[in-house]
Amino acid sequence: MTRRPALTTAAALLIGVFCVALLAAAPTLMPPFYVRVGQLMLYSAALGVAWGILGGFAGYPSFGHAAFIGVGAFAAGLTEARYPGLKLELRLVVGLAVGGGACAVLSAAIAYPILRLRGTFFAIAMLGVSHVCAELNNNVDALQGALGLTLANIAPEAWDPATVFYELYLAAGVIVLFIAWEIKRSKFGAGLLAIREDEDTARMLGVPTTRYKNAAFVISAVLTGMLGVIYAHSLGYITTDSVYRDDTNLNLVVFSLLGGIGTLAGPVIGAFLLVFITQVVLGNLLDFHLFATGLLLVVLVLAAPGGILGLLRTMRRRPTVVAAE
Amino acid sequence: MHLVAQTLADGLVLGGIYALSAVGFSLIFGVLHVINLSHGILVLIGAYLALMFSNALHLDPLLTTPLVMVVLFVVGYAYQLLLIQRSVDSSHLGSMLLTFGVALMLQNVLVWVFSPDVKSITPSYGFASFHVGGLTFDVVRLSALLTSLVMLSLLAALLKYSSLGRIIRATAQQTLAARLCGVNVNHVFALTFAVSAAFAGAAGIVIGIILPFAPADEAFWTLNAFVVVVLGGVGSPAGALIGGLLLGIVNTLTGQYVGPAFPNVTMFLILVLMLLIRPNGLLGNAFSPSR
Repeated sequence: MTRRPALTTAAALLIGVFCVALLAAAPTLMPPFYVRVGQLMLYSAALGVAWGILGGFAGYPSFGHAAFIGVGAFAAGLTEARYPGLKLELRLVVGLAVGGGACAVLSAAIAYPILRLRGTFFAIAMLGVSHVCAELNNNVDALQGALGLTLANIAPEAWDPATVFYELYLAAGVIVLFIAWEIKRSKFGAGLLAIREDEDTARMLGVPTTRYKNAAFVISAVLTGMLGVIYAHSLGYITTDSVYRDDTNLNLVVFSLLGGIGTLAGPVIGAFLLVFITQVVLGNLLDFHLFATGLLLVVLVLAAPGGILGLLRTMRRRPTVVAAE
Repeated sequence: MHLVAQTLADGLVLGGIYALSAVGFSLIFGVLHVINLSHGILVLIGAYLALMFSNALHLDPLLTTPLVMVVLFVVGYAYQLLLIQRSVDSSHLGSMLLTFGVALMLQNVLVWVFSPDVKSITPSYGFASFHVGGLTFDVVRLSALLTSLVMLSLLAALLKYSSLGRIIRATAQQTLAARLCGVNVNHVFALTFAVSAAFAGAAGIVIGIILPFAPADEAFWTLNAFVVVVLGGVGSPAGALIGGLLLGIVNTLTGQYVGPAFPNVTMFLILVLMLLIRPNGLLGNAFSPSR
């Protein structure tokens, strides 16, 4: 970990606060379509950062984080449906607590066995977990996955719901980013980095690898689940298919890969860029989405395995890449 | 008792087809250490090619097998040499993501060319069936199973007795040593991939005549192959056969006795449990990178 001079950190913070303020004010100026796109961007970025706590920092790329979105969404939705008399302001709080709690229990239960797998095996096993959760949710009648679940409104009457959710996502994103930042600069974060670089050596040198991995997994899962709760409310009506989505599973990996894996800004850049490309640039070419995402993946892997940030870093470090190689 | 026997028989037939559909994946996994997420789409391409050829040439779909295999052999060779080989070094996720990207692109291409609708290939003997000792067998399913077993034996013989098979096995065991002995490793990798793709195509034909298929099925066949390989063990037709038969039986048994919606749940539970308890598969081919 590099220690930056205090001045740069202050400048970075200032820029960050400025950006957040700008983003918060943006919905008043943007047409409704772009508020929706902005929602999706902020939601995706927050998910990407939450995914990165495990996938980026610790090097355990999960292909099944949609499991936590779904579990969080359904846990919150079912609880809120049980207590319809809940006050408007309390609804989201209860939902977040229950959704986050459900994900904490699920992730803590599977953390120890599943984190013994490494690399691609962990990734595929998580995909399995996501599918099992989705199918169970779909087939157990009490969970109403196939029937669908209507969530009560949480936006105050006087406000535009799209803007409310935009600001909610922004707040959630800032909180997730802050948590990830705190983790990255802590001893815990250094331990995760050591696990990513060489897990066996890290354990030999006294890093409590199992405890750290499990903690990162649970934190990542809880944050993802809470974002899922907000997402469910913004949809208003959820079924298994709308929350346990395989394209979410994939996109979370792509965000980090596109921006730069293991960094804080990487998933944010990746999410903004990918959502912009698919929603705005290719907005009218729905038939082309899969192909474009696939092509982007192929080009990324072949041309820029370090993502955009990795590419920038290499260019800065070695202005004449060709000559150095 | 009768129902149990019928369910088991159905499971075995289904399992034979699963085994063929997974053997290519298993070979690539064992030799190249690449998880080929575009495997399912290669299987589907085989099915679509068979549909196209059998309609155009008025042939029995099973007779188009050599043609389909040749096409996919060439495609597989080029795919490995031009794309996958370059991604292997970039990161441990590189080849996985690349193949996923290719799978998405090809799925979209299939939708453009053949429409997203469900298709099926119906051979002339499509609805014939016969009885043996009180059990019913469809002719179609049985010929599919027979084709699967013949193809698996062919591949096993190829790997065991031919010089190409020896080179492939040597490269899988120790890439560096093979290279030192003068093996052109990249060429062997490409050939292995080509063989795998050809067998995926053959599996596609067999699947095409007994089950309906659509471009969106590719993920199912990829995951299915993964489960079969995890169950049976990596890199050998025998492992694929055992894994496939087991999975087939488990699928029909859960479908019959637990509920028609649950085979996938069981499949993934088995996958996760096997990865945790015995990541080398039942036949136990040494395979360490999982932990």
